[in-house]
Amino acid sequence: MKQKLFLILILLFITINISGCWSKKELNEIAIILGTGVDYTKDNKIQLTYQLARPAAFGGGGMGGGPGGGAAMNQNITWIVSATGDTVFDAQSRLSQQIPRHLYLGHNVVLILGERLCRHGVLDVINFFHRQPLSRGTVWIMATPQEAKKVLESHSELQMTSAQAIGFLARLRTGYVLRFRDFSQDLASRGTNPVLTRVELKRQGVAQGPGLEKIHHHQEIIITGAAIFKEDKLIGWLDCQETQGLRWLKGDIHKMGIIIPSPIYPDKNISLDVIKGNTKIEPVYQKGKVKFYLGIKAEIDVIEQQDEEDFTRTEMIKAVENITATKIRQRVKISLDKVQGEYKVDSFGFGEAFHRKHKKEWSKLKNRWDEEFANAQVYLTVKVKLKDTGMQGRRASLKR
Amino acid sequence: MFDFFKSKKTQEAARLESPGVKEQAWRNQKLKANLKENLTTLHFILADCYDVVFREFDFAQLPDIRLALIYVDGLADKIQVSNFVMRSLSLEVPPALPKEYKITKAQAFDFIRDRGLCIHQIEETDSLARLIDAIMSGDTVLLVDGHARAIINGARGWEARSIEDSKTEAVVRGPRESFVETMRTNTSLLRRRIKNPALKIEVRPIGKITRTDVAVIYIKGVVYPGLVTEVKERLSRIEIDAVLESGYLEELIDDNPLSPFCTINHTDRVDKVAAMLLEGRAAILTDGTPYVLTVPTLFNEIIQSPEDYYQRYFFYSLIRLIRLAALIIFLTAPAIYVALLTFHQEMLPTALLLSIAGQREAVPFPALVEVLLMDITFEILREAGIRMPQPVGQAVSIVGAIVIGEASVRAGLVAPATVIVVALTGIASFTLCYPGTLSLRLIKFPLTIIAAFTGLFGLICSLIILITHLTSLRSFGIPFLYPVMPLSPAQLKDVVVRAPWWALLTRPHLLGKENPRRMKAGLKPKPPEKNN
Repeated sequence: MKQKLFLILILLFITINISGCWSKKELNEIAIILGTGVDYTKDNKIQLTYQLARPAAFGGGGMGGGPGGGAAMNQNITWIVSATGDTVFDAQSRLSQQIPRHLYLGHNVVLILGERLCRHGVLDVINFFHRQPLSRGTVWIMATPQEAKKVLESHSELQMTSAQAIGFLARLRTGYVLRFRDFSQDLASRGTNPVLTRVELKRQGVAQGPGLEKIHHHQEIIITGAAIFKEDKLIGWLDCQETQGLRWLKGDIHKMGIIIPSPIYPDKNISLDVIKGNTKIEPVYQKGKVKFYLGIKAEIDVIEQQDEEDFTRTEMIKAVENITATKIRQRVKISLDKVQGEYKVDSFGFGEAFHRKHKKEWSKLKNRWDEEFANAQVYLTVKVKLKDTGMQGRRASLKR
Repeated sequence: MFDFFKSKKTQEAARLESPGVKEQAWRNQKLKANLKENLTTLHFILADCYDVVFREFDFAQLPDIRLALIYVDGLADKIQVSNFVMRSLSLEVPPALPKEYKITKAQAFDFIRDRGLCIHQIEETDSLARLIDAIMSGDTVLLVDGHARAIINGARGWEARSIEDSKTEAVVRGPRESFVETMRTNTSLLRRRIKNPALKIEVRPIGKITRTDVAVIYIKGVVYPGLVTEVKERLSRIEIDAVLESGYLEELIDDNPLSPFCTINHTDRVDKVAAMLLEGRAAILTDGTPYVLTVPTLFNEIIQSPEDYYQRYFFYSLIRLIRLAALIIFLTAPAIYVALLTFHQEMLPTALLLSIAGQREAVPFPALVEVLLMDITFEILREAGIRMPQPVGQAVSIVGAIVIGEASVRAGLVAPATVIVVALTGIASFTLCYPGTLSLRLIKFPLTIIAAFTGLFGLICSLIILITHLTSLRSFGIPFLYPVMPLSPAQLKDVVVRAPWWALLTRPHLLGKENPRRMKAGLKPKPPEKNN
């Protein structure tokens, strides 16, 4: 019994000592990275930019500092550092020589890639983020026509940091957004080409408050569309309108508004909200030709009307549904023309749908899929159902 | 003058000769017929016992018979002794007797026993040991000249604390009485709850010097078969000088002497003990302490309170779940906090991480030191709260609150988040049944330290070891984690939730297998059936 006890104690002692706080990092020994930017410099080097949080600005207590955790005026919340190198890790090791803490990627919110890098090809830099155990698959990945470093050198009015702000904005899914793991999947798949969120640092709104009466314009990171890739290289941008069509095609339908002209009153509009939608892709392979039948279904709510359409009448509902269907078709057509016609890449995952349906033919087509896709016919059917008219059946009328 | 010294010297000699605890030869002696001889023996044994009263007087019926009363002042009820023993023997003639009725010397003892005493409880003995024990326990002994027997009068009466609210287990609804230090009162409290001859109370003295009464209480026909024999056997093995509290016994009859877990619960609540007995357990009452041991003990008793069975079951099921949550928080919160802060920062939401990082920016210690510092401070305050003299209570609580809550944070010694975690841990422990929390309070510290060295990985390993250990424990033959492990699904009605009384048809399977059914089925209230 005594020997046993002794043995257990020795084992415990050894376990604790051998493990010796392996990989232990105290909270005040780490530099928390909130945003990462990668650029390709003019002399063909990789520039890595980190947006680091300065924890003391977040604390509240401790120093007896700012009220309620907010940062005081003229106090920095983030610290943006960057370095260049031949590889991402090269740049990072240069950075870690300058920063007195362990760089900690575990809470990175966003990975922003600059345009030059995207045009050069992102595969060179992506691998670093795949291999790092702490770099997460849930990081929002985005492309910017500006320099990624410049985009990260910003701050947000509502959130504590601009990186968190863009993270929250992405989470609302108002534009086309994707996470790092989805991007990697798209990149690895032959049947689809990746699409990245396009972000820009733009003048956005006016910040106001006591002491701020002298109007100062504020720059914020915002989503401004999407970036179309061919394999790992950027080949073109889409604006917000075109991105909406892209989202219909990809079946990524969240938070989307549609404005249609009134069926009976000229120069008046109706605002509709898409509450539910899905897209079915039906690939057909006939006589060496690829065809796609797209079935789009949408359920809409009335949000706003400018005149007195009577939504209690079936004909009115039918009319609105028809106009909406046309509108959706138009939108889809615009982005289809741009992506399929102009850029000639399959960004919509049609290739994957084709692969699922026609396995044998796919093996022949996959190596020249993008050309095949550029020549493919796409037929659209749009079905719209008006579900709800909000809190009102009929608008208050002046005429009655 | 010399005489005085001489007598003093002989007294001294007698004192020195009077038997101590080692000499027990007199315990086998019998009483003699001669009162003088008996008194000499008693004086010898009871020498220097200042509180023992010897009172000799003549018997009214037969004045040449001398009687002697011996009792301990303060333990015997003096009024009863004077009025109903001495008065009736030394003054009064029993009214129903004719004047000419004469008794002989030989009849005197029987006469006194049968007609002379107005005492409710008497006992006859010829053993010196029994006589001394009776005197020491507070009974009054009557010796009659010419008879080698004595009458023990059960006229005890001493100053005792009155029955009060339970100090350690308070309830909002439910009986408030708790046990006191006197065993007779305690057994009466139990008997008042269970008015059935099947409630058995078997008393034995334990402790060579203290001769403390220890009672094994159970309900015959309900108690777990073999339990009483086992308890009595374990008790009979004990050879100890003194039993001042039931804790002595607890450690001597425990199944798992080396485990940090206490597998014998104690309580001072009468209703709780009664409920335990009715579930098939046995109770061990110790004279001189209000704390009663109940065996066997199950781990789930830690999240149960007698009140659960008195209040409505919906809400009190929720309360039990909250206690379970409190149990987990209490045991693991500091460890998880330390592990997250030193190894697994990625497991916290970004905003929370930044906020905690900000708070800890100025803190000079690692998370472990910080948590231990606060935990030990809290333990010190808790200990001070128990130990301090009542009048200074306020001062200590003010200083404690300021030291913990304000100053340490302001001084940058600890982060506010740490204060929250430690305070929550401390408060969580108070929701649980107190005896059970002691072992967990102890385990909390190694868990925190392991978490600081090996992270969540080590913490989970430790918890696995802990649970393995718990499953290996037995309390008087019943698995400690029953009915969770081994799983008895039907019994889960009364573990983390409390089913309504009309659904608690049976006693716990293992404990109550002697008499499983406790009520008729179908007692759930329902509207009367319509006649038409």
